[in-house]
Amino acid sequence: MRRLLWIPWRWWRRIAQLALLIVFVWLFRRTEYSGAEQLPGGENMLFRLDPLVGAAAMLAGRQVIALFWPALVMVGLTLVLGRFFCGWMCPLGTLLDYFHGLLRPITRRTNELFRPRLAAASASPLRGARYFLLLTVLLAAALAFPLVGLVDPFSLLVRGLAFVADPLLYRGADACFVWSGNGWAATALQPFVKKHLLPFRPMVFHLAGVSAAILVIIFALELVARRFWCRYLCPTGALFGLLARRSLVKRLPVRVCKACGQCAELCRMDALDPAAGLSPQACTLCMECVDHCPKGIVKFGLKRKGKSQPRPIDLSRRGVLAGIAAGVAIPGAAVAARLGHESPVPPNLIRPPGADDEKTFLSLCIRCGECMKVCPTNVLQPAIFEAGLAGIFSPHLVPRLIFEQSNCEFGCTLCGQVCPTGAIPRLAVEMKHHHPTGKSYFDHTRCLPWAKETPCIRCEEMCPTPEKAIKVLNTFKIKKDGEEVEIQQPYVDRDLCVGCGICESNCTIDGVAGIRVQRVDAPDPGTETLLKKKPSQSPASK
Amino acid sequence: MDRRAFLEQVAAWSAGACLATPVFNVRSILAAEGRAKGNPLLAVAKGKEYAALVDRALKPLGGMAAFVRNGDRVVVKPNIGWDRTVEQGANTNPDVVKAVVQRCLDAGAKQVLVFDRSVNDPRRCYANSGIQAAVESIGDARAQCVFQDQNKFIPVQIEKAKSLKEFLFYKDALATDCDCYINLPIAKHHKLSKLTIGMKNAMGVIGGNRGEIHKGIHQRIADLNLVIRPKLTIVDATRILLRNGPTGGSLDDVKILDTLIASADPVAADAYATTLFDMKPEELGSTVAAAKLGLGEMNLSKVKIVTA
Repeated sequence: MRRLLWIPWRWWRRIAQLALLIVFVWLFRRTEYSGAEQLPGGENMLFRLDPLVGAAAMLAGRQVIALFWPALVMVGLTLVLGRFFCGWMCPLGTLLDYFHGLLRPITRRTNELFRPRLAAASASPLRGARYFLLLTVLLAAALAFPLVGLVDPFSLLVRGLAFVADPLLYRGADACFVWSGNGWAATALQPFVKKHLLPFRPMVFHLAGVSAAILVIIFALELVARRFWCRYLCPTGALFGLLARRSLVKRLPVRVCKACGQCAELCRMDALDPAAGLSPQACTLCMECVDHCPKGIVKFGLKRKGKSQPRPIDLSRRGVLAGIAAGVAIPGAAVAARLGHESPVPPNLIRPPGADDEKTFLSLCIRCGECMKVCPTNVLQPAIFEAGLAGIFSPHLVPRLIFEQSNCEFGCTLCGQVCPTGAIPRLAVEMKHHHPTGKSYFDHTRCLPWAKETPCIRCEEMCPTPEKAIKVLNTFKIKKDGEEVEIQQPYVDRDLCVGCGICESNCTIDGVAGIRVQRVDAPDPGTETLLKKKPSQSPASK
Repeated sequence: MDRRAFLEQVAAWSAGACLATPVFNVRSILAAEGRAKGNPLLAVAKGKEYAALVDRALKPLGGMAAFVRNGDRVVVKPNIGWDRTVEQGANTNPDVVKAVVQRCLDAGAKQVLVFDRSVNDPRRCYANSGIQAAVESIGDARAQCVFQDQNKFIPVQIEKAKSLKEFLFYKDALATDCDCYINLPIAKHHKLSKLTIGMKNAMGVIGGNRGEIHKGIHQRIADLNLVIRPKLTIVDATRILLRNGPTGGSLDDVKILDTLIASADPVAADAYATTLFDMKPEELGSTVAAAKLGLGEMNLSKVKIVTA
């Protein structure tokens, strides 16, 4: 069957790509607080479709994660249909296709330039690169070391979009609004655009530049070859490719006609070799060869007679050994260099609410960026080196990043709702309060009422627990000029503190705050030097 | 186009663009209206039916028509500061807000804006306070509960101020953009300023670092009220928060009073509301400071109190 309902197959593929890209953008836009405590669900679906992410998280976390059932469906479909996901569904692949098409006049020439070099024997390590990455990621995961978030295409895409594209979009639109003044654009267009197309506010993220650079490189590689990322680098694609080796549905004939060979030239995945024929690991069922065959003999279907010969995997023996070495060596080296999560956890590394101990959290977290995207206050930030090399891009709370805004909202549980692996568990609000993210400690060398006898207690005002976790001692102080003043000096009742960080975020002094959140398991920082002993009862609040 | 022409045009367009970017500079502010002579009037009403309560509280003052004229741009400024529910008594009661907005519309307002600079995430506060839904339920395009636009905070010099000489204010709330500003606070406990009532509610229309206000809070709140001059203050004391304010959270700290206080005099309104907490008006530093600045009458014996 070369057409379905008179529509050429490649158009079906294009329709599916566009539709799923729209779904992806829609889900991405929906990954935000919208007035309900519960998100509609499905925001993290892209990650849950990804068997590589699922396998890595389960291996590293040493547990079966039921959330990944959609990945199992994808595995089943791939065993039957082949690597269709990459051609028909993957949003990154779709964007790469659009980008390539947009720059066709340039890419056509540059691709031509690189073609002989990629075909040369010296390029063979490149062909094995994605298997190398796959092997490394899975081996490292088996050693409980998380690498998948650094190479998984969806993590790269979502982080790039959330950390860079979204804030840029908001700021660009906002600039236009300022320019357009109070005309019809302000009254008619603005509310619509703000409500439906833009994020609620421009977020700010650490590592935005790095996230953008990675995406830029992936897109720039289109200049070298079409779908360069998918052909040579993508480990998820590699996994789908391995599953597709003996897939039932294949391009037929699996050989390339000697007289013509157009389809081999046309193939965006370099899946057709004039000599060896079809490589099912590479073919993404884009259907171009079906529609462009001058004789009209190419079709996709079940291969019935004759044996299908899966092509050997392009990873050389040397490559396998290198992959094994890297998968074992990276976790080992990181631990040996005390850059992994074996080293003591920094006291101010505050993980999202409900996160398990640092080691478990790091091995389950796939760095997808969903929690940081959904966090309404922007307090969740990707770690740079705070959590060691193993923790790059993992989320943590930075209460002081955006003044007066960055705190974990007392009643919010969105991060747990979007986490695709359960690294941040889905908690009811009451349960969240029983899992404090940290505990606050005053710094008596900075806090105004303690260090300078200046009234303040803004932290107490903000403190969201029904019975304030920040309490106040009324003390009389003699100032330098001899004047006696009554001053309210705050202290923390750490049994009540939930570690939300609103005190730190709103502390009135600039720079380092006078009250700071610490991990629950961190030792007392010893900054409450002036408070001789913890008051058992608060005389002032009763 | 050659290179030179191109660069010239880029330069010209950029310069034009920079100059055309709106620069707000409201320096000397804003016809400070003189206070009416004589004793200010203050209405107190008590009742369970909050919409009717608004009418009763406004009646002795001459109804909403005494404040909102036909075609006015009105700002109704409730307290939507916290991610709390109605019962927790941390935000202005949505039924009261709705009734006030409706009266403004009835009086012929061209536009009624409801907003606040929330402390918690504004989306959560607007939703969970019930105020956004209440305003939307009116179903009139003239009345809108809007999120503040960060571009609209503009510097204002406060000439008569004793402590806060200049601060950022929300443009829509200033007399340049708003014909009638109605302050709709809730009366609550607040450890530092003792209570937060009407005048501290101006914290919701200022920009920048609000922590600055906390350094010498009483005088600075009074200074803010030199700029934000509500024509009408309605104190929501249907529920008051006795402890653990201004955030609250526990129903044990909430006292149901079913009371509204309305006055054109912001200082008198705060002074009277203070008494609901068994405190004297002079115990509130901001009231004293505001009275000294001539913003209103804090001596309740000089206020004509009408129980409506």
